[in-house]
Amino acid sequence: MTDTVIQVACAFFAVLMFAAVLEVPRKQKPLAALCGAIAWWSYLMIYNFSHSSLRAAFVSTLVVAVISHRLARIRKAPVTVFLIPGILPAVPGAAIYRCVYYLIRNNSYATTYYLTQTLQIAGAMAMAIFITDSFSRLFQLRHENRGKRL
Amino acid sequence: MDERKLLRAVVTAGEIMLVSGAEVHRVEDTMNYMLAHAGCETAETVVYTTGILVSLITASHEPLTFVKRISERSTNINRIYLVNDISRRFCAGTLTVDEVLAELEKASRAVQYSRLAKSAGIVGVAAFFSPIFGGGVPDFAGAALVGVFLALANRISIRFKLNDFCANAFGALVAAFSASALGDLFPMMQSDVMIISSIMTLVPGVTFTTAIRDTLNGDYMAGAARMTEAVVVALAVAAGVGSGLFLYQMMGGAMR
Repeated sequence: MTDTVIQVACAFFAVLMFAAVLEVPRKQKPLAALCGAIAWWSYLMIYNFSHSSLRAAFVSTLVVAVISHRLARIRKAPVTVFLIPGILPAVPGAAIYRCVYYLIRNNSYATTYYLTQTLQIAGAMAMAIFITDSFSRLFQLRHENRGKRL
Repeated sequence: MDERKLLRAVVTAGEIMLVSGAEVHRVEDTMNYMLAHAGCETAETVVYTTGILVSLITASHEPLTFVKRISERSTNINRIYLVNDISRRFCAGTLTVDEVLAELEKASRAVQYSRLAKSAGIVGVAAFFSPIFGGGVPDFAGAALVGVFLALANRISIRFKLNDFCANAFGALVAAFSASALGDLFPMMQSDVMIISSIMTLVPGVTFTTAIRDTLNGDYMAGAARMTEAVVVALAVAAGVGSGLFLYQMMGGAMR
């Protein structure tokens, strides 16, 4: 439990620090960091529950994508502002680095392992974002149509 | 309406977004919104990761085309935010084309954080990612120190105008070397954890995920290009870490 709290706090500050590197707009910085913390918290919750990093990455990205879409509406900013910081902690950066590292060290077993992991996690996260985008477009369309009918 | 000016404004908006790392379909959407607002019915935009093409038919039935080559990309969310805001205001009718051009010129040079803040960011990311990779308190301190070296390496790369590949490889080399040295000096620190958490700012995790998103959106060219970009960046980082470790071993683990 304390471990979770520490990790989530670290995810918050890590994303807050990352915001300077990615030039996140100053006004949205705390909220963006909060997205990162929420994403990592839901990742840990689901990982502890199912012991599958794939499921954890998928569901946590789904959560953060929905939140990003809502925040984008409220704060009148593009979704990217909240989405990119939000997915930072779960994104398979370490896995893709390890994959190429073992490739040049000629360790084909580890290369395959990390390549699979990279593709699975990045694929799951991209799928989660894609689903959220599609649904939000659907609702937007319905919203606009309703406006026209009136 | 001066269509040449409009075309320039639209392409500049797209260029800033693409250079700042926006997804291809978002860039196309923004440009199409602006063109539609200006009343260009027969306009076509094509955006690749490495270039933009826009072509439209003017009121006097003349075709007009603008091609823009994009050679560098990094992530700058603030510029995406600013361009989005400008296009929103243009489509709401509160900005003229001339004002859009002036605002875009300002947005393309917008910098929010000083170099020192960015260096602090690199150090902070290195430190705060270490618990996520299973590090303890010593690793936190060690990773922060490695982050300082990485930030210094980053400043040197900027100073000598190194290209992206060399800058990433050099940063990773410095990080791997200093992390191994620290790991030998202080046995309670895990050099593995320190390396991986300090290179989080270099590693192309977001690029790879965006590549798959582009592919799912049907932008196959952009997806393939971005995936290749991610692999090249990862190769630079891995080569840097590999040579950093090799260098340290060759020096006989000088700290032991």
